[in-house]
Amino acid sequence: MSVRRKGPRATIVRIVTYLCLVSVAVIVVFPFVVAFATSTKNSQDIFNYPPTLIPKEPQTIDPTEVALPDVDADADEPLPLYAFPDSDTQFALVDNDVSVAEFRPLDDVDRIIRLDVTSGEKTGEVVIIDGAEEDIFAIEVDGTTVEAYRSRLTSGGQFVSLDDPTDVRVELVNVVEPLQQFGPRLENFEEVLIEKDFGRSLTNTVLVTIAVVSGQILTSILGGYAFARIKFKGSGPLFLLYLGSVMVPFVVLIIPLFQLMLQVGWLDNLSALIIPFMFSAYGTFLMRQFFISIPIEIEEAALLDNASRWKILWRIMVPLARPATATLATFGFLYAWNSFFWPLVIINSGNPDGRVLSLALSTLGGRSSTDLNLVFAGAMVAMAPPILVFLFAQRYFVENSASSGLK
Amino acid sequence: MAEVTFRSVSKQYEGGGPKAVHDLELDIKDGEFMVLVGPSGCGKSTALRMIAGLEEITEGELRIGDRLVNDVPPGDRDIAMVFQNYALYPHMTVRENIGFALEVAKVKKAEIKARTEEAAEMLGLTEYLDRLPKALSGGQRQRVAMGRAIVRSPQVFLMDEPLSNLDAKLRVQMRSEIIQIQKRLGTTMIYVTHDQIEAMTMGHRVAVMRLGVLQQVAHPQELYQRPANLFVAAFIGSPAMNLINVTLDGTAERPTANFAGHTLAIGGGAIERYPQIVDRIGSSVVLGLRPEHFSMEGDFDLPEDQILEFEIELAEAMGAEAHLHIMLDVPVVELDGQPLSAEDGDEILTSTTKIIARIDGVHYVTSGDSLRLGVKTHLAHFFDPDTGLPLS
Amino acid sequence: MAADAADKADAGVDRPDAPDTALGRKLKLLSLWHLVGAAVSVMGILLARRSGDIELPWMPRYALQGFFSFAFVAHMASAYGVGARTRWARPLSLAVNYLLTLVAASATLHLFNAYQALGDFGEGLYKAFLPFVVICVGLLWVLLSGQMLAHRPTAVGPLRLRQAGWGLAGIASVWFVVKADPSGLISSIGETLTRPLALGAIALTFCAALATRLMWSRAAAKHFGSTRRVDEALSGLAFLSPNLLGFFIFFAFPLLFSLWVSFFDWDTTNTTRDFIGLENYIRALSLDFANSAQSNAGTEVLKSDYQVLANLDWFGQHWVVGARDVEFWLSLKNITVFLVLAVPLAVLPALVLSSVLASKLPGMKVFRTIYFVPSVAGVIGVSIVWGQMFDATIGWINYILDLLGISEAGQGRGWLTQPDTALLSMVIVFAWMSFGFNTVLYLAGHQAISKELYEAAEIDGANTWQIFRRITVPQLRNTTFYVVITTSILALQLFDIVWILARPIAGGPNFATQTPVLTLYQEAFTNNRQGYASALAWVLFVIIFSFTLFQFRRQRSEVSAGGVS
Repeated sequence: MSVRRKGPRATIVRIVTYLCLVSVAVIVVFPFVVAFATSTKNSQDIFNYPPTLIPKEPQTIDPTEVALPDVDADADEPLPLYAFPDSDTQFALVDNDVSVAEFRPLDDVDRIIRLDVTSGEKTGEVVIIDGAEEDIFAIEVDGTTVEAYRSRLTSGGQFVSLDDPTDVRVELVNVVEPLQQFGPRLENFEEVLIEKDFGRSLTNTVLVTIAVVSGQILTSILGGYAFARIKFKGSGPLFLLYLGSVMVPFVVLIIPLFQLMLQVGWLDNLSALIIPFMFSAYGTFLMRQFFISIPIEIEEAALLDNASRWKILWRIMVPLARPATATLATFGFLYAWNSFFWPLVIINSGNPDGRVLSLALSTLGGRSSTDLNLVFAGAMVAMAPPILVFLFAQRYFVENSASSGLK
Repeated sequence: MAEVTFRSVSKQYEGGGPKAVHDLELDIKDGEFMVLVGPSGCGKSTALRMIAGLEEITEGELRIGDRLVNDVPPGDRDIAMVFQNYALYPHMTVRENIGFALEVAKVKKAEIKARTEEAAEMLGLTEYLDRLPKALSGGQRQRVAMGRAIVRSPQVFLMDEPLSNLDAKLRVQMRSEIIQIQKRLGTTMIYVTHDQIEAMTMGHRVAVMRLGVLQQVAHPQELYQRPANLFVAAFIGSPAMNLINVTLDGTAERPTANFAGHTLAIGGGAIERYPQIVDRIGSSVVLGLRPEHFSMEGDFDLPEDQILEFEIELAEAMGAEAHLHIMLDVPVVELDGQPLSAEDGDEILTSTTKIIARIDGVHYVTSGDSLRLGVKTHLAHFFDPDTGLPLS
Repeated sequence: MAADAADKADAGVDRPDAPDTALGRKLKLLSLWHLVGAAVSVMGILLARRSGDIELPWMPRYALQGFFSFAFVAHMASAYGVGARTRWARPLSLAVNYLLTLVAASATLHLFNAYQALGDFGEGLYKAFLPFVVICVGLLWVLLSGQMLAHRPTAVGPLRLRQAGWGLAGIASVWFVVKADPSGLISSIGETLTRPLALGAIALTFCAALATRLMWSRAAAKHFGSTRRVDEALSGLAFLSPNLLGFFIFFAFPLLFSLWVSFFDWDTTNTTRDFIGLENYIRALSLDFANSAQSNAGTEVLKSDYQVLANLDWFGQHWVVGARDVEFWLSLKNITVFLVLAVPLAVLPALVLSSVLASKLPGMKVFRTIYFVPSVAGVIGVSIVWGQMFDATIGWINYILDLLGISEAGQGRGWLTQPDTALLSMVIVFAWMSFGFNTVLYLAGHQAISKELYEAAEIDGANTWQIFRRITVPQLRNTTFYVVITTSILALQLFDIVWILARPIAGGPNFATQTPVLTLYQEAFTNNRQGYASALAWVLFVIIFSFTLFQFRRQRSEVSAGGVS
């Protein structure tokens, strides 16, 4: 549609249009943003609700910077920082495994005060709680002494205020709010590649993709040229057969292909992912359509120049066919890189060395659902190359996929 | 340098249909500039492509030099061709285009360079050697196509309507250049065109073809003066020869052609060239008069029975001459059931014949005038209306 | 006189006496080779039957036996034909020698475990990935420099770049070999070289290749009176051969085999095969309807071997629908629902968006590119991401709904775990993945609409909506048809999304996401009933194919009726 009107109404229409387009774009891009964000988070962060986009890591402080009275200075590790609701200062967790006593004041039994196990002095009196005798302790609370009984012993963390080294508290660790800062965890990628065998899947996928694409380009160029320009008996019906094969869904072939792979011994081997797919009926069709569009006089001129068909193909037709070849390469790349069903059938699930990315990702997603950040790192590794290839090659890809589809 | 000989060559396409080329017998001499001409569909391009090897020969024998080449692949025939659309390799520079054949033949690089530059020089392409075809004008591309052909020093040059995509001025210029090149190189050249003016001006000999059949092959002048049949007579010459259905009458000494109320006496020269006229007195024949056979009364001394009065439908003042369009109330001459028009592409009213007379431009004539024109019937042509053959 | 004799020679008429040239001698050798070849073929047939250390499975065994039978006949005939100089000798000899070269080469590779090695190369590549990347960079430089040198063969910069590229690739190659450690491979090759069968295969390949080359030469072509037509046909077949072989081995044969197997009851664990005719199809497609007094009646009212598929109440009557393969019918039902939901969702937004994108506003290309990305990112990755987004407790979908106030915090829906919403979630994922691609298809259709139609409508005062409805949509009818059909065909084959997203098991809660392809996979590879699974595959194929055929026919008739204005 041509929108050639001018004026304030048209401007509003334009703004609304762009708004709509942008919102759709957001819907499209958002899952990728989620994937990217999650891939850089650390594994704890993922299970928070509400979910966040920004990867965070705990804020920490170097132990040497904290004045630590009467605590072990065993820490080489940075100390995580926390916040307490009643204070503005940051607290460092210096020891996360101290004995903590829970006291409940006699005049406010629902309130829980957690103190170091050594604090509080027995007054010598007892009180009956739930039919049991409990000692009464005198504890310090906000400067005043309160009588309380000890309801529980547990383990918790010891926190020291950064501003006031004397302000030492004990509390259950998961009750206190950890302080977070922006912290993408790029180790996720390293971990997934090395520890989870993803690296091997990556190189396998590269191998398969390169081999398949090269094979497809080669056979499609040769076959496409034969159909386009060489007269031989039966080329018409044969080409129709090729066209027809495009309409056959792959599903019909998996069982016999599986048996074939089994019998020639390619089961569980990358060869089974490569060799059957080195030819492509669609690719042959694409190249043929393109070669037909090259004026025949150019070939006739070359024939008169005594060039052999082979020479004509590689010196004249192929250099002219760059857009078609690029399209074919891109299609082939995307198909080979992203294929899942056939690898699933052929590669034994217990064989991590034979996997390609899609398979590895599927297994990873099923198995390590606790290490979701690694799963997403893997997903990024699997998704980034096709997206990049697409963005790079899209000027050939998009136009051609549309037009060739409609012929 | 070689002769090209067709012996009973026919081409039939698969799936039946009429033959594209029918029993062609043609001898093209070594070093000759032969033009194949005819309307579209006449088989001239097919014949050319058969020489090139791009069309298969169904019957007959084709020889280049002494060699029977029916089954020889195009690349082995030592011929070069210039295509109508030039067929330049789009992704190669001019230099690479010209040099490609030599490269295929594995000629040494230095020699390729030398020969390429020589050919480019001959055609004025030197400054364009490193350009791609898309950066060239139509005329320049045409020259590159020629350069590509020349650099191979073939035995035969083939040209398939090479000038038809150029504008008129360029066409005229290229025509003379091609003639000069052929003269200079002395190579046999076979040239296909649908433009009979081109044919007449360029060829040593011209072969006229129609519907796959060779009509006549001769020196241009002979085609003009002594057309072998009605078709050639109508095809050659611009404006075309006027063809009129007439009834022969009169005496053997002075026969007349009667048409549309006119009685036109036939001069002695015509009777000598077409003796059958005398036998055909009383029957219908076709009279052929070239436009220049007419003249204003008084411009040429003619007997009274060769002067007729006509109403001028349209007078075209061309400067040095004037073309007078005259409509005659005679059904149009037909060949094989199709009307033969005076000018190509005219709307034909089959009940009226239009003739064009050419007179000296000094006379002021306007449309609607009635004039007396003299007819030089001793130069006229006569044909049988059924066979199209001349009455000789 | 001399010309006449030369004519006869060139015309290829069979001459009784052959000249004793180099060609003549070679051809004598060739005839000998054909006899040898015939003998080898017989050996091949016998070997294939039972060959000591190799017990061939039946597919390669029959294939080899068939090939060698053909080869035997062809070799014998060729031996005769070459000697007698008949016209058909050359094509036949070429055919048998060429095929023999390919078969022998294949066998050689197989004996050298080359195919295994190709897979194992993955390990080498893994170890040596970095040098591999460097090699690629080097080759890229060479390619780039080649482009730049294309028309200026002497430019200095590109020449240097090319040298640098080769140098880099060369060094990296050495590094690659070092890291990839082919020692295992080399020793394996050495070992295989000691086996007589392997050496024999190599020799066979070599001889057959030489024979092919000889017969292909121009001299041989002339000698046997080959016409240009035959030469061209041979040339065409040669170019097509790799493609064609792949087509037959990996497409045509499996397709036919699949059909054949579907008539058998084939339990792959026991490797027994019983011919049962159409029984598989009957089993898959059988339905039973039974009337019952009670609602929710069970299997008791159905025929034996039938299980309850659904309980329906029609016209006050209680009906029980039974099927022998309930899962299959459920999957059909699911996929139909999926189709009805997913296709409009994937097509209509594309239609609308494409109309906007087809305008000449700035930035349209950017949007078009963005929308296309989901189609290329890969199903698995995308499904995993969406799986996370649909998560009941920590998923983004629920969070956003919460923010929008549509649902309450903590009341997050179990999108993938509830039978009502599981399929719907997959519809959303599918549509999200597909609409970008469809938009691009529509854009192509837009280009075919002549601008003048819009201009005329504007002059007539139509507003945007009217233009869209009355001009754009009708003009895009063909495109819509095509888009709907292609999307449908993809939707019918739904598998990957289900595999990743369906919880707790692949069929989903209450089999809500059981799809036909999933059923097929389970039957074939979990239940090992490959005969039955093949039948299911063909049923699915027929369904999908009718969609395709419908589209094909309609496009044909549209074109012939001048449908595209």
